[in-house]
Amino acid sequence: MVEQTNQLMNQAPASLEELESGSASFSALVQQLTLIVGEAGILFDADELLVYECDGYIVDKTAPDIVVFPTTTAQISTIVKLCNQFNVPFLARGAGTSLSGGCLPIGGGVMIVLTKMKNILEINLRDRYAVVEPGMVNLHLTNALKGTGYHYAPDPSSQGACTIGGNIATNSGGPHTLKYGVTTNHLLGLEAVLPDGSIIELGGPTAEVPGYDLHGLYVGNEGTFGICTKAIVRLTRDPESHRTMLAIFQTIAEATRAISEIIAAGIIPSALEMMDQGIIQAVEEAFHFGFPLDAGAVLLIEVDGLEIALDEEVRQILEICNSCNVRDIQRADTPEERLLIWKSRKQAFGAIGRLSPSYCTQDGVVPRTRLPEILEFIEETSNRYGLRIVNVFHAGDGNVHPILLFDERDKEQIQKVMEASEAILEKCLELGGSVTGEHGIGVEKINFMSRIFNQIDLATMETVRHIFNPRQICSRDKVLPNHQTDGSSKITQSHPTRRAPH
Amino acid sequence: MSSLHSGDLEEFVPTSQIELSRFITENAIATQKQIFPAGGRTSLSVCCPASLSGTQICTSQLNKVIDYPVRDMTITVEAGMRIDQLNEIISAEGQRLPIDVPQSNRATLGGVIATNTSGPKRFSYGTIRDYVIGISAIDGKGNLFKSGGRVVKNVAGYDLKKMLVGSLGTLAVISQVSLNLRPKPESMCMVWFAFDSYVNVEQALNAMITSGTRPTAVEYCNSKAARQIAAESRLDLPSEHNVICISYEGPSNVVKWQANHIIEEWNEFSPLSSQIIESDHATRLYNVFTEYQTSSDDPVTLKAVVLPSQMMKFVESATQLNIAIQAHAADGIVFGHLPDSASSLEDVKQILSQLKKSIDHKTGYLTVYQCESEWSELLPLFCSPPPGWSLMKQLKNALDPDQLLNSKRFTELVET
Ligand SMILES: Cc1cc2nc3c(=O)[nH]c(=O)nc-3n(C[C@H](O)[C@H](O)[C@H](O)COP(=O)(O)OP(=O)(O)OC[C@H]3O[C@@H](n4cnc5c(N)ncnc54)[C@H](O)[C@@H]3O)c2cc1C
Repeated sequence: MVEQTNQLMNQAPASLEELESGSASFSALVQQLTLIVGEAGILFDADELLVYECDGYIVDKTAPDIVVFPTTTAQISTIVKLCNQFNVPFLARGAGTSLSGGCLPIGGGVMIVLTKMKNILEINLRDRYAVVEPGMVNLHLTNALKGTGYHYAPDPSSQGACTIGGNIATNSGGPHTLKYGVTTNHLLGLEAVLPDGSIIELGGPTAEVPGYDLHGLYVGNEGTFGICTKAIVRLTRDPESHRTMLAIFQTIAEATRAISEIIAAGIIPSALEMMDQGIIQAVEEAFHFGFPLDAGAVLLIEVDGLEIALDEEVRQILEICNSCNVRDIQRADTPEERLLIWKSRKQAFGAIGRLSPSYCTQDGVVPRTRLPEILEFIEETSNRYGLRIVNVFHAGDGNVHPILLFDERDKEQIQKVMEASEAILEKCLELGGSVTGEHGIGVEKINFMSRIFNQIDLATMETVRHIFNPRQICSRDKVLPNHQTDGSSKITQSHPTRRAPH
Repeated sequence: MSSLHSGDLEEFVPTSQIELSRFITENAIATQKQIFPAGGRTSLSVCCPASLSGTQICTSQLNKVIDYPVRDMTITVEAGMRIDQLNEIISAEGQRLPIDVPQSNRATLGGVIATNTSGPKRFSYGTIRDYVIGISAIDGKGNLFKSGGRVVKNVAGYDLKKMLVGSLGTLAVISQVSLNLRPKPESMCMVWFAFDSYVNVEQALNAMITSGTRPTAVEYCNSKAARQIAAESRLDLPSEHNVICISYEGPSNVVKWQANHIIEEWNEFSPLSSQIIESDHATRLYNVFTEYQTSSDDPVTLKAVVLPSQMMKFVESATQLNIAIQAHAADGIVFGHLPDSASSLEDVKQILSQLKKSIDHKTGYLTVYQCESEWSELLPLFCSPPPGWSLMKQLKNALDPDQLLNSKRFTELVET
């Protein structure tokens, strides 16, 4: 192995100014920003800024100095140039549902909130794409497409709130990832304002463009490659029909075997979600769906496609489940029954709220066949720390979301939650997986990066970031664990508390 | 390790990533020769200049399976593995990589990624970018870096896998790849339609967007290409007119139902004929469609990428220039084999400039896909700069600061 590290790794970040409220440069910046976005498009009162001190990850908090709500790409470009001129950091925020602290304004500065840029600019069914502004709420795009026979496939559970710009920055997935893929598989092109204020276009509405796949490289940058100002997304044909089933198993091992066998039989379900005993009991206590309390696992299985194909797929799935000792299978034969089945999955989180004052949703990945091992480990961890942990997750992808229940008023428990989370993620790595399937590294998991990647991997990533964001003026200190913070950071570590589930 | 010499082009055949990394490191420190990564040599005519001088890295010995957890449906292999070899291994387990690769007996996985090769199935299955879940590669300095991992869902770190897609050996030498696999379908069939007018073809393609069927591929060819494809497939197919050929995959009853259904649906567009092709014949015909983009011995093959709605306009212009056209019609990807009459470089340039006129420059691209090797240095690969060209140049400079990886070609990529 050639041990060579990139020199960039050792460089300190460009020293950026810290704005001081009331100072001359603060007032000058506010004044100039107001000229760009108008008085209704800017916030700088400490009270109003509180909302923006964290996103869905509320362990770390720090407020920006100024929040702006631009409405055009040109405005964003001017704002970014001003930030450069004043040498203050800036970052983008969509709906703020990030679960890894992607929107944390380290070092303060200007937060550019994109929620006013929420228009659909074009829908083109013939060429199967839509052009949208970055603040467009994911579900609103899907709603706008209703009746056309097409939809936008990535459907994070937060889709009622999260924005397409946020989805691109985090490469979001959802329950239908197994069959339809994640955001990067559906992004054709984009427009972005780079951290120096210049405007670029990558990719385009065509099926591909010549050269390096730069829009692919852009996806998942977690806000560190500038501000995405426009997205060209691929539209996917709606399936003709669905079939939805709930299969109840005695053990997690049997449920996992069924998952592998279903896929090995050539069936790619559109959803394969698992609930473990802990969550089954919680759901049952709360909603009385009639699940047996001693069941080890419940699988929600959905297949979609042409009506003519589905009955046979269902027949095969039933046969496989039977061969894996399924205890009971409930089938939805009507749309109402389908809704009821999905309700049990979706209300799982409501049920958790009844179990515990606070909870923390983790995000890890293992190869699909290693699910029994990770779930066993999670159970051991739960016992070891005396913490209740329940699981409801995207089993088909091996993407686990252990939910750690605790009481945020108890400092000791908070510490345990942190330690247990870390142990579980370590185990995911040991089993050949990843510490994040969809929530991102952000600030939360930055310490894991050097355990997953070696110095050269990280240096290459740093090199690439350097091209987009050379001074780290845009969303500094995220994703890569390169620099010691220079003391200007105002983050206060508080507690892991309630993190939104999905 | 072995080094062969041929003229001023040396060959280096690494047997491991580490050995390759060491070689490139030493080259960067000491001799600073140009390095040309070569897989199956199926695309070198355009990817490397004819007058090579330097070292060709032959990846043929980087062909091992690193890990194949069958039930996880992922595989990690070295990047020099030939596509046929890969297919054989995974096919034995009922799995496949749903990417159509011409000359798959020679083409390597690394080459497929570097050239972003795709075929008819891209309409329903996407392209190689959608299947690479992890990658290792060696930059111009010899740094062996990786991105992604071996699980199907993973957002840790920047997605460096993507920048290597379409990089033509100019950014880093791809050395190891992890792939997400899919189950093999039970059966496949094709439906061959002949149309006598462009208008009917366009109407039929337009109706595809709301068809009750879900095709896996929608291929168009003009009569010149249709004749060659029919002949090559040794099937008796009407080929005097425009052809749209659709494929379906899945359980046989579902495939059959769809084939019959599309014939019914398309009745209103007055096809001259329609014909269902099944079983072995379907496989044979499908393979011809896959191979056709590289099969020609014509002097130059073009590739155009346009919006599907604008494709027929381009096809009409190209057909008038006596170009044989095959297109992945639902994706707007067009391959054109220039006629033998385009015998001089001047003729070719003339044709290129005429064709450029029928492409909307905001949303269309014309590229040279294959050509006579003596012309490769004289024809640009891309007839206009792609979006993000300035960033591509910066990436190239950052990963290969000494300009050692197929660098002459990189600077020639775009017509200036
Ligand atoms: C209840 C709940 C369920 C969830 N379920 C899922 C799920 O199923 N799958 C999943 O993948 N995630 C899920 N998440 C996580 C989160 O919703 C996603 O990461 C989402 O994509 C974030 O979108 P947002 O608009 O809220 O972005 P924000 O949280 O505002 O921002 C996220 C990151 O993107 C950057 N960013 C935002 N907009 C832009 C832009 N225009 N240009 C550049 N950078 C930008 C920010 O700087 C930040 O780094 C869930 C979260 C919650 C709270």
